[in-house]
Amino acid sequence: MPGSSTVSEKEAANIVAYIRTLDSTTTSGQATGNPKKGEALYNSSGCPACHMIAGQGGSIGPELTQVGAMRGATNLKARLQEPGANLPQVGDGPFGSRWTQYLMYRAVEKDGRVVEGVRVGEDSFTIVLKDAAGKFHGFWKPGLRSLEKEPGKSFMPNFKDTLSAAQLDDLVAYLMSLKSAQ
Amino acid sequence: MKTFLYALVIVFSLLSAPARLLAQDVSYEQLLHADSTPQDWLMYGGDYKSQRFSRLTQINRANVHSLKPTWIYQPNHPLPPFESSPVVVSGIMYVTEPLSTVTALDARLGTKIWSWTPHLPERIYTIGVHRSNRGVAVFNNTVYVETLDAHLVALDATTGAVKWSVHVDENDQGYAMTGAPRVLNGKVIVGISGGDVGIRGFVDAYDAKTGNRLWRVWTIPSPGERGSETWGKDMSGTGGGGTWGTGSYDPELNLLYWTTGNPAPDYNGHNREGDNLYSDSVLAIDPDAGKMKWYFQFTPHDTHDWDAIQVPVLFDDTVDGKPGKFLALANRNGFYYVLDRVTGEYVTGVPFVRQTWAKGLDEKGRPISLPNTEPTPEGSLVYPDGHGGTNWNSPSYSPQTKLFYVSAREIGAYTVAGQPKVHFPDFGGGGRNALSADDSYGAIRALDVMTGKMKWEYRMLAPAETSTLATAGGLVFSVSDEGNFFALDAASGKLLWEFTVGGTISESNLITYEVDGKQYLIGASGNCFVAFSLP
Repeated sequence: MPGSSTVSEKEAANIVAYIRTLDSTTTSGQATGNPKKGEALYNSSGCPACHMIAGQGGSIGPELTQVGAMRGATNLKARLQEPGANLPQVGDGPFGSRWTQYLMYRAVEKDGRVVEGVRVGEDSFTIVLKDAAGKFHGFWKPGLRSLEKEPGKSFMPNFKDTLSAAQLDDLVAYLMSLKSAQ
Repeated sequence: MKTFLYALVIVFSLLSAPARLLAQDVSYEQLLHADSTPQDWLMYGGDYKSQRFSRLTQINRANVHSLKPTWIYQPNHPLPPFESSPVVVSGIMYVTEPLSTVTALDARLGTKIWSWTPHLPERIYTIGVHRSNRGVAVFNNTVYVETLDAHLVALDATTGAVKWSVHVDENDQGYAMTGAPRVLNGKVIVGISGGDVGIRGFVDAYDAKTGNRLWRVWTIPSPGERGSETWGKDMSGTGGGGTWGTGSYDPELNLLYWTTGNPAPDYNGHNREGDNLYSDSVLAIDPDAGKMKWYFQFTPHDTHDWDAIQVPVLFDDTVDGKPGKFLALANRNGFYYVLDRVTGEYVTGVPFVRQTWAKGLDEKGRPISLPNTEPTPEGSLVYPDGHGGTNWNSPSYSPQTKLFYVSAREIGAYTVAGQPKVHFPDFGGGGRNALSADDSYGAIRALDVMTGKMKWEYRMLAPAETSTLATAGGLVFSVSDEGNFFALDAASGKLLWEFTVGGTISESNLITYEVDGKQYLIGASGNCFVAFSLP
């Protein structure tokens, strides 16, 4: 595909907006549950320990203040059922490719110490992981004994077996109601 | 005030060391023997062989770990990433900045001496073309630069004043210029960009003194000419075959080797049945006559955007007791080739990255294509992707190790065939969807230059488009897409030094030079040039 150097910034923004409408993670599905019940479930299920909404909550998982504007209901439900599967991609990879967000790694240092965490930054020589306590660990890759991706894994618990279908719908409805900064 | 003081320094230098500035008057003899003045970096690729190999040894395996940034040069406003490969003559460095600016710097300090920017039209057509520039050529106190709106300009090397400017072709028809010219024996040789939007590619020669055009070699034949039968119908107006790399030259054979880009429209070859000569080829050109002596096509009937514009690396070796003259090229299509550069005959070819589109190469080097690898409306997964197993960024070759150092890209893409559009500027035949960056990686690979067999690799996170620079200090320098400069042991691939700059370095071509007894390494990172030296 040729580059689009003759496209103006406004035209480019319109193209980006259109492409975003094609992304099923942002648009697919409608919330059918009760957001009030969902909010109660959110608080009683331990979610605030890891997630932050409007400045309240933990910082281990993604910030959720505007998650309803960023994700579709189908995607959110899938996240709750299989948190480590089909992780979202961000479009700042080289030459149009995209990096996987929230990808987990297992780093083993030369002395045998193991750190498991979500990748927050990486280049060819370094990587920074965030562990389950929200602590950052920066590593010089050539100094590690091993470094492995853990696709499919997540710190977030799986709610498929602990919440009913109706409860999942309520929780999704609450998350979908979070569309703007409060 | 700084400019005034600097002018005083220049005047003082003129008075105290006139020979030094006179030495900027680079002669053809100096260019022919560029390897005998390793303190300079006289041309794109380092010498006419384009080996990007330096004989400097001050920075070497034992001390490279101490390398530190010495100066950084950056323009006053944000620009697309720098792609320029600097030229250094007697302590003066000539770089290009996007879009088509030339700047002369003190190579010890990074201080600007002069800068020249062309008056470009408000609207420039650069579809499928990076709005950048890959460097200058210097000859007889003149700096030659190609401009984005398809002009070739000669500048006074001391002042930046324009000596002449010629209109090479029509930018409003998609012709653009981004390459580094090649100067030889009184001629300035240039190529053209725009092959994705249906230009007709060519290689031009201009009189270095006057700017008069001496000849043009078309890369797409006219009806009735040899090769026109490989297009199905007349495509001589829009067939593509851009020439946006920089060629190499063998003065003994008096042959210029220039490579060509993809046929157009890309990703859909239905309206151009046949091999589509001379796209994706290397052309051997007699630079006196302006005639093609031979050609070798790497990817007949390309539908994957595998421009063959990698710089041809020339090397000599002895095979079965016989001395030979060879040309090495690691191609975007995933194969590494060695050709006899006297005759153009195929010597060997092997994959240097994962490739899924060909069973192999036949005895003449023609790929044996596999079924179901053409682009489809739904998308067909093929390795390598459209940016290729490697791209335009220079590889290097060390005569000491006899290894060819190349930035390898391990990445595939879904190639999608669309309806061919053949009316500029709406030109194209499809596109590609890259795989996740986490399903790909890059590597610096050392290949045996004659066999292509990999001796070692050093992995990088992303499948970067980077150059390599080999030195007599036993080193290979390279850069990562994420912003790391690094040095490897040329013999083993062991990491010896790394420095994180942070700006994307994927389009940088590294060089090294020496001034006042100090060796420097320089490369572009984002919008900056960063120079390194030992403390």
